[in-house]
Amino acid sequence: MSEAHEPAIAVKDLRFSYGEIEAVKGISFEVMPGEILGFLGPNGAGKSTTIKMLIGLLPPQGGTATVLGTDVALDDPGLQARIGVCFEEKNLYLNMTARENLEFFAALYGVKDADVEGALRRVGLADRANDRVKTFSKGMRQRMMIARAFINRPDVLFLDEPTDGLDPVTAAAIRATIKEEAERGAAVLLTTHDMFEADELSDRVAFMNEGRIVALDTPENLKLKHGTRAVRVRLRDKEGVREEVLPLGDGEATARLAELAASPDLLTIHTEEATLEQIFIALTGRGLAG
Amino acid sequence: MKRTVSRAAIIRALLRKELVSYARDTVYLALTLAVLIAAPLLFRAMPDRVEEDLVLAVSPPVDRLLEGSAEALRALGASEADVARIREADLAKQEGLLLVEFDDEVKMRQAIDGTLQVWRTRDGKLAFVDTAAGEKRPKGTKRVDVQVGVAFPERFLADLALGKRGLAVTVYTHASAPPELRQAVTSFVREAAFEVAGEALPVQFPDEKDVVVGVDRLGDQVSLREKMRPMLLFVVLMMETFSMASLVSTEVLERTVTAVLVTPAKASDFIAAKTIFGTLVSFTQALIVLALIGGVTQENWSLMLAVLVMGAVMFTGIALLVGAAGKDFMGQLFYAMLFTVPMLIPAFAALFPGSVAPWVRILPTFPIIDVLVKATVYGGGWRESAGSLAYAAVWLAVLYGAGVVALKRKVASL
Repeated sequence: MSEAHEPAIAVKDLRFSYGEIEAVKGISFEVMPGEILGFLGPNGAGKSTTIKMLIGLLPPQGGTATVLGTDVALDDPGLQARIGVCFEEKNLYLNMTARENLEFFAALYGVKDADVEGALRRVGLADRANDRVKTFSKGMRQRMMIARAFINRPDVLFLDEPTDGLDPVTAAAIRATIKEEAERGAAVLLTTHDMFEADELSDRVAFMNEGRIVALDTPENLKLKHGTRAVRVRLRDKEGVREEVLPLGDGEATARLAELAASPDLLTIHTEEATLEQIFIALTGRGLAG
Repeated sequence: MKRTVSRAAIIRALLRKELVSYARDTVYLALTLAVLIAAPLLFRAMPDRVEEDLVLAVSPPVDRLLEGSAEALRALGASEADVARIREADLAKQEGLLLVEFDDEVKMRQAIDGTLQVWRTRDGKLAFVDTAAGEKRPKGTKRVDVQVGVAFPERFLADLALGKRGLAVTVYTHASAPPELRQAVTSFVREAAFEVAGEALPVQFPDEKDVVVGVDRLGDQVSLREKMRPMLLFVVLMMETFSMASLVSTEVLERTVTAVLVTPAKASDFIAAKTIFGTLVSFTQALIVLALIGGVTQENWSLMLAVLVMGAVMFTGIALLVGAAGKDFMGQLFYAMLFTVPMLIPAFAALFPGSVAPWVRILPTFPIIDVLVKATVYGGGWRESAGSLAYAAVWLAVLYGAGVVALKRKVASL
C-alpha cells in the first residue's frame, strides 16, 4: 500500500479522445488511501473513459495518472494485482460456479490463499458457492461482482454502480462492506447514479460533465455552498397546513423555531440544504440521469 | 505490498477456466462427441476394397454355350484347332470380369432390375435370392451389384465360329447405369466375337507396363475408406473451429475478457491460452480419431503429428478471427461458415482427385490435406511433403496472425 500521506490515485490534466470527440478534457483529482470519492455525472460525461484509463484498459492520451504511485500508462501487472474492479455489466463466467469464479480471479491476481468462503459469506452467497452463476438472480450476480472485486484485498477499488439491482437491505449491507474496505485503508472510486448512496458513502464527490470536473468537494461543503441555511417547518392551522421557512443563525428565527417546536400544531421540520442532484443541476443545467 | 504473479501461472489459470467452460457447455460437448463417434463409424461404413471386376450377367451359362458349340462345330466338320480356339476364348476366365451366369434371360433381367439379388461368398460362389418370394440373404456374403447383362442365342458361339452373320445379342443395362458401361460391354462382346470368329481387331495395343504412368496400383487401388481417412482427420480439425470461435465470442460479447484484463493478465496471455487450448482440443480429437481409424506407420508418425499440429493451429487462428468478427450468435455463425466452407473444399480433392479445379490448390487448407493424403494414402514422407508443409506454414502464419490482430483490436475496443 502507498504511504498514507500519498494519494492512492493521482490524476493530473488527464485527456482522452475518441477520434474527434474529446471525452476527457484535462481533469485533475486525487484520492487518498481510505478515502471514498464519489464520481458523479450523467451518461457520456467521461466517467467510464476516466476509469478505463485508471484500470489499464485505455492508454491516456494526455496528462498523467498514477495509481499507488505507478503510472497507469506503464501497464504494470504488479499494479493490476493491487486493484479491484466492479464493472457495471455483470461480466461473470456463467458456466462456472461462484467458488470457481472467485478461485479463477484469485489465481489471476496471484492470491495463493484466497479466502473464497469468507468473500462469499461477506456478500451472503456462502450457501450458493457450488452453484453455477447462470442460476443466480440479478441481485446475486451483483453481489458476486462485489465479492470478485474484493477477492485480492485491493488497495484501490473502482466500483461502478455497486448496488445496482439490489434490494434495500442487501444494498445497505454492500455499502457497509465498502465502508469496511475504506476503513481497512483501500482508496475507493465510486461511480453511482444513486445520490443517497453517494451522499452516504462518499468522503468527497466529483461532479463530471462533458469531460470536465465541474465540482469537487465533500458533500457537506457542496450542500452548504449551493444550498440555503434554513429550516422549513410545517404546521397545522385552522385552514389546513401551512409552512414557514426560518433562516439559521438569525436570533429572531431561532426564537421562533423554539416556539414552534413546542407547539402541538408542529407537523415536520426539514433542513433546506440542497441535494447532490440539485447541486449538479445548478452547476450544469442538466440532471445526473441524462 | 507488491504482489507478483508469473505468466505461466496466469496461463495455467486461464487454461483451467477454458477447460471448465468447454466441458460445461452441452453444445461443445455434443459436437465433440458427435465428431468422435461419427468419424470412425463413417470410416468403417466405407468400402475397404475397390471393386476391380466388371460385373457382367450372361445368359445362357458359358459352359452351355461352349458345349453346344463344340459338338455343333465337330458335326459341321470343324477341326479340333477351331474348337480349341473357342474354348480358349472362355469369357468366364477373362481378367477383371465377374461373370454372373443365368439359365434364362428372364432371371437375368430380374437380377438387373433388383428383384432377384445376387450375393457372393468369400470363396467366390454366387447365391441368388428372390426377395419377392421371401428368401433371405445367406450369411457371410456380399452383395453383387448387377447393372449390365448380355443375352446370347443358345448356339451363338457355334454360329459365330462357322461365320454365320446377323446374330442377335441383347445387352441389358439398369436405368442407373452410366451409358459408358453399356458402350463398354457392347465393345467387349464385339471384341470377343471377333476373337471367336478368328478375325483379330485391326489395331495393336502396346505392352500394358509401358503405358502405366506413375505408381502402378493395379490390384492395390485406393479404396474409398482409405480416401476418407485424410478427409475425416481434416474435418475433425475443422469442427473445433466452431467451438473455439464460440468460446472466444462469448468472452467478447459477455465482456468477461474485460474482467480478465484488469487483473495482471494481459491480452497476450488471454490469446495464448485460447491458442493452446484450441490447438490441444483439436489436435487431441484428431489423434483419437487417428487411433480409431488407423493410418499411422513407423515411417509417417512424425509427419502426421507435425501436420495435425499445423492444422490445429491454423484452425485455431481461424477461430480467433471468427470469434472476434461475430457481433452475436448469428454473426459468428455467418463468419464461421464464410471461413470454413471454402476451407473444406480441398478435402474433397482427397475423395475425387480428378475433379478439383486448379484454384483449389491456392486455398490455405490445401497443403494440409495434401500432406495428409500423401502420408496416409501413398506412404509419402517428409521429402515428398516438404513443399506442401512450407506452403502450409506460410498460410498458418497469415491466418493465425490475422486472428491474433483481430482479437486484440476487438478486445481493445470493448
